[in-house]
Amino acid sequence: MKKVYMDYAATTPVDKEVLDVMLPYFTKDFGNASSIHECGRNAFDAVEASRKKVADILHTSADEVIFTAGGTESDNLAVKGVAYNNKDKIGTKGPHIITSTIEHPAILETCKHLEKQGFKVKYLPVDKYGLIKIDEMEQSISKDTFLITIMYANNEIGTVEPVAEIGKIAKEHGAFFHTDAVQAIGKEPTDVNKLNIDLLSISSHKIYGPKGVGALYIRKGVKIQPILHGGGHEKGLRSSTYNTPGIVGLGKACELAQKRMEKDVAHLKNLRDKLINGVLKIEESYLNGHPEKRLANNAHFRFTAIEGESLNLMLDDKGVAAATGSACSSKKLEPSHVLLAIGLDPAEAHGSLRLSLGRTNTMGDVEYVFSVLPEIVNNLRKMSPLWNR
Amino acid sequence: MSGMYSDKVMEHFRNPKNMGEIKDADGVGTVGNPVCVLPETDIIANPVSTSISYLNPGDRVLSHDGKFHEISRKFKREYYGQMLMIKNRLGKTILTPDHLIHAFQVPESHTYCYNKNKRKLLDYASWWHSTDLKKKDIVMYPVPNDVKDVDFIEVELKKSEYDHKSLSIPSKIRTDKNFMRFVGYFLAEGSTRIQKCKTYTTLSFNINEEEYIKDCVNLIKILFGLDAKIEKRPKRKTSNIVVYNVHLTKFLRDLFGTKAEEKKIPEFMMFLPTKKQSELIKGLWYGDGHTDKKRLRASYSTISSQLCQQVKILLLRQGIIPSVYEEKPRISKGVNHGRAYRIFVLETPSLKKLAYILKVNFNFRDKLSCNAWIEKGFLFAPITEVKEIEYNGPVYNLEVNDSHSYTTNSLLVHNCGDIMTIYIKVEDNKIKDIKFQTMGCAAAIATSSMITELAKGKTLDEASKITRDNVADELDGLPPIKMHCSNLAADALREAIKDYRKKMKK
Repeated sequence: MKKVYMDYAATTPVDKEVLDVMLPYFTKDFGNASSIHECGRNAFDAVEASRKKVADILHTSADEVIFTAGGTESDNLAVKGVAYNNKDKIGTKGPHIITSTIEHPAILETCKHLEKQGFKVKYLPVDKYGLIKIDEMEQSISKDTFLITIMYANNEIGTVEPVAEIGKIAKEHGAFFHTDAVQAIGKEPTDVNKLNIDLLSISSHKIYGPKGVGALYIRKGVKIQPILHGGGHEKGLRSSTYNTPGIVGLGKACELAQKRMEKDVAHLKNLRDKLINGVLKIEESYLNGHPEKRLANNAHFRFTAIEGESLNLMLDDKGVAAATGSACSSKKLEPSHVLLAIGLDPAEAHGSLRLSLGRTNTMGDVEYVFSVLPEIVNNLRKMSPLWNR
Repeated sequence: MSGMYSDKVMEHFRNPKNMGEIKDADGVGTVGNPVCVLPETDIIANPVSTSISYLNPGDRVLSHDGKFHEISRKFKREYYGQMLMIKNRLGKTILTPDHLIHAFQVPESHTYCYNKNKRKLLDYASWWHSTDLKKKDIVMYPVPNDVKDVDFIEVELKKSEYDHKSLSIPSKIRTDKNFMRFVGYFLAEGSTRIQKCKTYTTLSFNINEEEYIKDCVNLIKILFGLDAKIEKRPKRKTSNIVVYNVHLTKFLRDLFGTKAEEKKIPEFMMFLPTKKQSELIKGLWYGDGHTDKKRLRASYSTISSQLCQQVKILLLRQGIIPSVYEEKPRISKGVNHGRAYRIFVLETPSLKKLAYILKVNFNFRDKLSCNAWIEKGFLFAPITEVKEIEYNGPVYNLEVNDSHSYTTNSLLVHNCGDIMTIYIKVEDNKIKDIKFQTMGCAAAIATSSMITELAKGKTLDEASKITRDNVADELDGLPPIKMHCSNLAADALREAIKDYRKKMKK
């Protein structure tokens, strides 16, 4: 049976070139990058070369990048780090942090945690496409606001937020701007200086790198407190022995992402648009997210009268790996907060399907989806008492 | 086993047995997610608000967008167990614990905040399960927002055969301020009587309300060209305005209903511009309302529950926040008082608006706090009480086209969720054929398929003994989280058997 992987927003396979550069650091140059001997020095050099590559994709210098264990840690470090450095603001009117209702849980839960400690957080609502309302954001900034954290692109519905405008406004008001760019790296321009970004989170496994490694860009002059204390690695901001193979993999992945971006985006957009046009031919199917301002690889749909988990399992049986925002597949039984935030009601949010494309997808994959999806939707609708046709 | 489901579940999910519909089924059982309300729950509907048990597909109910949407289906089932009574200033609603309500939670630290601070929590507004809500959380109640102006009403002028003397009234009546005020007076104090040679309209005022009596007589002259008589009854302390006119009486009866407890405002008036509606409120309040300048409050009472709900909506459209109370039937000083509904306007901001309409002057003191507000087409009001109630009996839910929500007299609730239908064919008291339709996750589909297998060939008694646990066991278990929401097949089968037995009795 044909296998089609269309869940690249969840994770990506490690690129062969990335794997090749990682391998020596497991066995040959396995040294601790903090050690003084040759084996350690080799590892240190590799870490620093990697840092340069990460800095390159962000158009910045290497000393502004620190390595972490992934996107979630980068988000935590950015938000908590800045907040803990502004503890003297607790008790003032606020809001101290401005974020949106459609952020990744790594941001939302961190903000909720900070609220318990006395920080005040403003959660900006979004429109029906998932775009934050810039005016409302600007109005809610006060003199106590020290951080604005808005994701570059949404992981579920793929909407790309107006980061350039947000960065400009944040700068005007003297607040730091952090963006979770985990989904955007390699698909959207990430020049932190042009975009006035002060902190930016990266994850390796979304860009054909290994899992368990990520990075945080911290602009010079932005003071943060560490959340991991220990041996004082990364200028004391993130203690922990360097994950050399992982870091080398991330560096290579960033290098490839930058090199291939133009080609990748053109390829993905082409497939995505064909996919969207084809799927929307199914009766009562709708596109979630913004029709234009969306990630090159994201197609997010909803179908009336069926349920997402069933749809996904049926697709899986046909060899298609996809994702859903349906409550029935999650542990909480609450539909996706993103789908609710864009104004879908729980019943509509149930029947959702995310197809996220990657480098290896072909037109043949898209056509394969066309050949199986309509029938599955049709079968589930035949089974559904809500489909009266 | 791979992933969260057993191989058996996946097998039934992949190849569901007995899927489909039996067109000439002997019994049909439908269950939704166990989210329902009591049969006597009042639902805001157009044109008439009524108990959920009297509503039918095709009727239109108020949804979260402030508009009326058609009901596509109605569900009824038996329920045993706990329900929740949620109360706020508009009344109380009793619903099942999983029912979704449009609301937002107010953390402990915010309970004593000003509204402007609570407002910041608005971003959290969403659909919450009734069990997740507690006292002081804020529920959102939609304010109908459609405006459709009507300039004239046509009057049907029909004389009976032997009627040679009835004066005619204009065949077109302008819905101006004067008319709307008269409507208010009539809704409050009016009654009609249609009998041979004794057809008349009365408006019965307190003997001291001379100003209103004069206004009303004057309005009857201006609007209808008729002369009204004033009959004073000092013993009863009333002054009655009587108009003997068959056209007017019939016209008013058609518009506003026959009996006092069934009085209602006609549909089109609910959508008139708020300026016109304010005149109606004025007349209504002059008649049946009360303003207390000492205690700074205003109240209005009626024995028509329908009228009470309509007046509540008219006030909300003016930006006035009412509190609604139901008074139980009672005997006071030897007089029987039926069930009555009382609307209070208590807080300064709302009272100011009402005082402006009524042209009454209050001496407002300091700013009094108000814990409710109107914004973005919703009334935001805190929950005042949550109580658990044991219940055994029928419960209802609706499915609403497009908007998937409906409004009780005090809450905005979500309509039915996932649903499952079981069809059975019965022969010699045995289940000869059985089929299902389900919208849901893999567990919901597998349990439906399994129950059809388990029930086929069994007698009705045997089949109704199949439990949720039996179904789960036969499937080699279900993930714990799915036991409650997706394991409804046994319930649906029992409903189908019950449906069959009911049909047999007839």
